[in-house]
Amino acid sequence: MSTPLAVDLSDIWKRFPGVVANAGASLQVKQGTIHAVLGENGAGKSTLMNVLAGMYRPDEGEIRIGGSQYWFRSPSDALAAGIGMVHQEFRLVPSFTVAENIVLGASERIIRKGSIESKVEALAQQFGLNIDPSRPVWQLSMGERQRVEILKTLWRNAQILIMDEPTAVLTPGEADELGGVLREMANAGRSIIFISHKLHEVKEFSDEATVLRDGKTVAASLNVDDTETSQLAGLMVGSSPVTTNRPPDRERGPSLLEVRGLEALDDRHLSAVHDFNLDVHSGEIVGIAGVSGNGQREMAQAIAGLRPIKSGTVKINGSDLSHALPVERFRAGLGYVPEDRLGVGLAPRLSVVENAILRNYKQLRQGPLLIDDKMSIHCQDIVDKFGVRTGPLNEPIAGLSGGNLQRLLVGRELSGEPKVLVAAQPTRGLDVQGVKAIQDLLVAERGAGVAVLLISEDLDELLTLSDRLLVMHSGKIVGEFDPVNSERHDIGAAMAGEVQI
Amino acid sequence: MGRLVLVRREQAVKGGQPLAFLIGLVSALAIGILLLVLSGHDPMAVYERMFDSSVGSPKSWSITLNRAVPLGLAGLAVAVAGSMGLWNIGAEGQILAGAMMAAWMARIGEGWPSPLLITIMLLASILGGALLGLGPAVARAQIGVNEIITTLMLNEVALRLLQWLIHGPWKDPDSKGFPLAPMLPGEARLPGLFERAHWGAVIALVVIALFGLVASRTAWGYELRVAGSSGETARYAGISLKRKIMTVLVLSGGIAGLAGGIELSGNADRIVEGISAGYGFAGIIVAALALMRPSGVAAVALLFGAVQVGGLSIQTMGVSSSVSTILQALILFGAIGAGVFSRYSLKRVQKEKQVGKEGLSE
Repeated sequence: MSTPLAVDLSDIWKRFPGVVANAGASLQVKQGTIHAVLGENGAGKSTLMNVLAGMYRPDEGEIRIGGSQYWFRSPSDALAAGIGMVHQEFRLVPSFTVAENIVLGASERIIRKGSIESKVEALAQQFGLNIDPSRPVWQLSMGERQRVEILKTLWRNAQILIMDEPTAVLTPGEADELGGVLREMANAGRSIIFISHKLHEVKEFSDEATVLRDGKTVAASLNVDDTETSQLAGLMVGSSPVTTNRPPDRERGPSLLEVRGLEALDDRHLSAVHDFNLDVHSGEIVGIAGVSGNGQREMAQAIAGLRPIKSGTVKINGSDLSHALPVERFRAGLGYVPEDRLGVGLAPRLSVVENAILRNYKQLRQGPLLIDDKMSIHCQDIVDKFGVRTGPLNEPIAGLSGGNLQRLLVGRELSGEPKVLVAAQPTRGLDVQGVKAIQDLLVAERGAGVAVLLISEDLDELLTLSDRLLVMHSGKIVGEFDPVNSERHDIGAAMAGEVQI
Repeated sequence: MGRLVLVRREQAVKGGQPLAFLIGLVSALAIGILLLVLSGHDPMAVYERMFDSSVGSPKSWSITLNRAVPLGLAGLAVAVAGSMGLWNIGAEGQILAGAMMAAWMARIGEGWPSPLLITIMLLASILGGALLGLGPAVARAQIGVNEIITTLMLNEVALRLLQWLIHGPWKDPDSKGFPLAPMLPGEARLPGLFERAHWGAVIALVVIALFGLVASRTAWGYELRVAGSSGETARYAGISLKRKIMTVLVLSGGIAGLAGGIELSGNADRIVEGISAGYGFAGIIVAALALMRPSGVAAVALLFGAVQVGGLSIQTMGVSSSVSTILQALILFGAIGAGVFSRYSLKRVQKEKQVGKEGLSE
């Protein structure tokens, strides 16, 4: 008789309005191992982990912990079953000490400071977590705060620890230290689930890896030592269910988007994009492939004007707009489909009409007044032309499905008749029809002589649509591929950062 | 046993708002009967007095109206900021600042033609409130200081300033040592409308309507809605968030300041510490109940005014101020809170059957 699996999730389904986040995902974790869960943004990793941690209730599926079946109503049910989760955003009280944060909410009847602090210290030392229990949390670095979060789960005797992208907030030195702590915990018989899309860390820290894509498990419990990084990268991006035919070759025109020596910082003020050069010509689609978090997001934002440029130039249709406002770039012929549809491209609480006029409302004025007729004609045009299925146009867009939101957004950007279109993850999370519709629009724009920059995590989409395929890694382009005559393996290797050109 | 949850209706019930208002009002009054009987009063007599004193005659209407004016303007001030997701908790201080500026102008302009003096007083009151809003506006827009804290603290500053003026430079030499400012000259008083009502009601209504129009019809109002919905979307659309935050907080202060100017010129004999009977704070409730919409502010303020006038009047028949306050709150929240049910319905959901460990395994 073998020991039962520490975690056995099978056939988990979780649907949200307009999105299927988990479509029969599964995960098996052996006791005393570090198990990496890999997948691109939107692959369903976080949803699956939230199901395991009791934050979400799955629509279908089975959760078995140590061989017994559970049904969690809340995170405290999951905790009672021995599952602790360290979220990306820490949940600590800054003015409390380390020890106070650790015992907070953990049914400690009488709190005697001295004895709690020494107990915390003992627990910390057991796992090699170096921390002073009497220090207030606000004085701690991000790495130290993470240790407090880990200690919180250990204090509650969690046998299974879920870490959601734990290294995203750490310096490389701290990340290595974390790796040691996790190994210590695994050796003590605890099981660790480690979410990441940094492949070298997965390789370094974990024993096994499960890869999710489009809400499904595409590779379960791979032995990490026997698996190439490029193979993992390939599994993550995988193939899309949509078969759009490759558009016929055509002559490309002059370069309409020229980026030279671009440097931009991420939200933590660390360099995210550097030495980045790019030309996109009229009538071509240039695809950008890469594992998430390698600067694609920041690069697109810098081109669109939503992120300041530290150095370098961005020229659109010949004019230097490196430091221009987003709206000035739009007027100069730049259409931009941002990665975050709701909250950046579209304002969630506003109506369909109000969202449709976001880019050109200043042209729909008479004096200070907005003209209702012009607004609704403009909106109706987009809705008709791009097949947006919507209720009354004055209702908030919150009721629209993901695909229809994207049609509205892409339609609005195209209604400005752009010369350059930057589309970041335009088909992510859409259903098959939605993906097809958006891909067709991109191809049509290419046919009309627009310069299209397509940033995607779907390698098949990139291979099908792109005239040229560039791979980004660590903030710059590390390879250019001909989408027709390239090996997937070579592209995967470039995405994993294994080749430098 | 199930659990009750609010479920959003697919569509708001047609004519649901007035119906919910009536049902809420009636239920609040019914609960109030219990409260009054328990505290030893004749409920019907109390309700009759409340009704008569607030809306029973033209005279009581005029008193209610005068009360609704500062409530409505303060409510609008809070709603203007609220429509962008900002909280102006400083309307009380801004009302005082507006009143002080107006009183100052009245001192300077004694003997000027009344329309000129009143116009100058009201413009100055707007400026006073706006100035008090400027500090928090700059701090929020430029370095992200939470406006709730700054506006709240400036209330105290404005109050202390007013106390100093009354005890010091503005103290009436003829007041026999009492810390009182001199009476306002006749030309500084807003003319009457009917009974006790003054022209402030017209001014307030025009301001509220004007802002309602600006918010819903103009590009400026549209930008405000976008910025209130998502700051990132606003940047994407080329709307300057900093400028919007500045304008909105200063404008909000100015509107509250105007309430102070009108209150002084229309309702008071002289500037006193208690010139604002908590209108700035009540304005937060008005705005919240009006769901931050200018169109709702006027109606909520009128109801609020009537309830306050009625609540005060029953204290003269021996109902304690605490019972009166509870009654006011009951009516207000009953009548307006019930509106929720025109947009949401109450559903009973069965508890999930599978709970906890099932122990299906060996």
